[in-house]
Amino acid sequence: MKLIQMTKPSSFSTISTAKIIQMNDVWTSYDSKNYTLKGINLSIDRGTNYAIVGKSGSGKSTLLKLMNGMMTPSKGIVKVDYQTPDMNNKKFKIMMNKIGYIPQSLGLVKNITVLENVLVGALPRLGKIQSFFKMFPEEELEEAKKILKLVGLSDKEERKAYMLSGGEKRRVAIARAFMQKPTILLADEIVSELDHVTAREIMNLIADAQKRMNLTAIMVHHDMQLALEYANRVAVIKNGEKILEIGVEGDKIVDFQTGDLSTQEIMEMYPDESKK
Amino acid sequence: MNQKNNLIIGIIIAFLVAASINVDANPIEFFEGLPNLAIVAEEMTEVEPKLFETAFWSMFETIQMAFIGTVVGVAISLPLSMLAARNLNSKYVYGPVRALLAAIRTFPSILWAILFVIMVGLGPFAGVLALIMYTVGFVAKLQYEAIETIDSDPMDAVGSIGVSKWQLIRYVVLPESAPHLLSQMLYMFDYNVRQSSILGLVGAGGIGFYIINYIKFFEYGKVAVFMLVVLATVLIIDWASVKIRDKYIIKSQHGMEVSTN
Repeated sequence: MKLIQMTKPSSFSTISTAKIIQMNDVWTSYDSKNYTLKGINLSIDRGTNYAIVGKSGSGKSTLLKLMNGMMTPSKGIVKVDYQTPDMNNKKFKIMMNKIGYIPQSLGLVKNITVLENVLVGALPRLGKIQSFFKMFPEEELEEAKKILKLVGLSDKEERKAYMLSGGEKRRVAIARAFMQKPTILLADEIVSELDHVTAREIMNLIADAQKRMNLTAIMVHHDMQLALEYANRVAVIKNGEKILEIGVEGDKIVDFQTGDLSTQEIMEMYPDESKK
Repeated sequence: MNQKNNLIIGIIIAFLVAASINVDANPIEFFEGLPNLAIVAEEMTEVEPKLFETAFWSMFETIQMAFIGTVVGVAISLPLSMLAARNLNSKYVYGPVRALLAAIRTFPSILWAILFVIMVGLGPFAGVLALIMYTVGFVAKLQYEAIETIDSDPMDAVGSIGVSKWQLIRYVVLPESAPHLLSQMLYMFDYNVRQSSILGLVGAGGIGFYIINYIKFFEYGKVAVFMLVVLATVLIIDWASVKIRDKYIIKSQHGMEVSTN
């Protein structure tokens, strides 16, 4: 990781070719009979805003879980920052705190406060005694409050997480991920249940942070339009296979990896389900 | 209702009849014996009010026993329940811990009381020790079951950050299972208050000591005084539990705020 930073200064690493995530012919299976992912090849540049689009059951959440070691492939190779994501891989375990993961369920601890939920992101940096007695260093507390201000929840720091609305809960989950000071952010359909305005607010929040922190954001969507609006690259997953990958610059599609489809045709393939 | 259900109900009824015959359960005897109960009930109406003070103080002793038994028992059962939870440990850890807890539960509290009377002599201390043992066996089981049913989403999400197991317990397992623990503490306190009335049987202190002695001498009027005090206490504890439950448990379980005004 250090080597890459030396050769690719952060000032132009947004367009760096250094691959942060690589998947080579990856197959996964829950029951060793039916495969959820079938021969996925994926290569994600550092600093990209990457979107994975597909219908429910297409295997897109599985793809994310492969990237943070919650799942391991039955076949094929996965590398995250040149490490194999696996809870038993010590080198990967050390870098796990740099991977922010927001599951579809958000995974907030509902009986602790908003502030404490955010501070959970700082736990890997804390000692045993400090974390047991909840003695967070002043700078971590300040950082957490700064992030809560950024996501617009300053006035709800002391609320218990279960008291929040759906949009607010998402903001807390994002704040927790930011608190990790991540290099990679994995988000699984975090805006799919929200209304149009709130969804855009949250996507803007992530897009801003992604540029500012030079984050590699990998977000799963079922809304193609949203993906095209925010991502640099979009991969479309269908029945466990990557059927398409597109590069996006502004409102233009600049690169097709499969087929030769117009935006219109892609939209028709994956209509916006939220409008139905 | 299908054939299979009918068959199951049929088997249950058949077993019920067979078991009743085996244990000499005879409804006729029950109804014939009812007038005997009336004699006791009549004697019980001859309440001796001057005993209320004694009853009150012995009840106070009982409550203190139950309080110590519950608090200390829960404190001991908490780490044990963490070790016995399948979603936190390998089977080499939870297996032996569960076996130990099952062994503790095998002894009813009255047996523990006898053991501790032998150890530390007659009096409330033996009763307290018995209540602690019973609480440990029972609460640890309820608590590890509660831990096993907590939502796996926050466990997975926080686990994927790369936190240590202790941090996971401190920040996810404990807060998420806290409402269950509170609920079990309330139940256990209620149970221990009622239980310590029985522990008097073996001389382990509390209000039970008086109740048992008056029953031995057929002084049901005096027994009635003590029973009334027990009843009042249990009702008060029940009322307080409902209040505490409403405030801390129900809303967090349903993930919403309950209006308390």
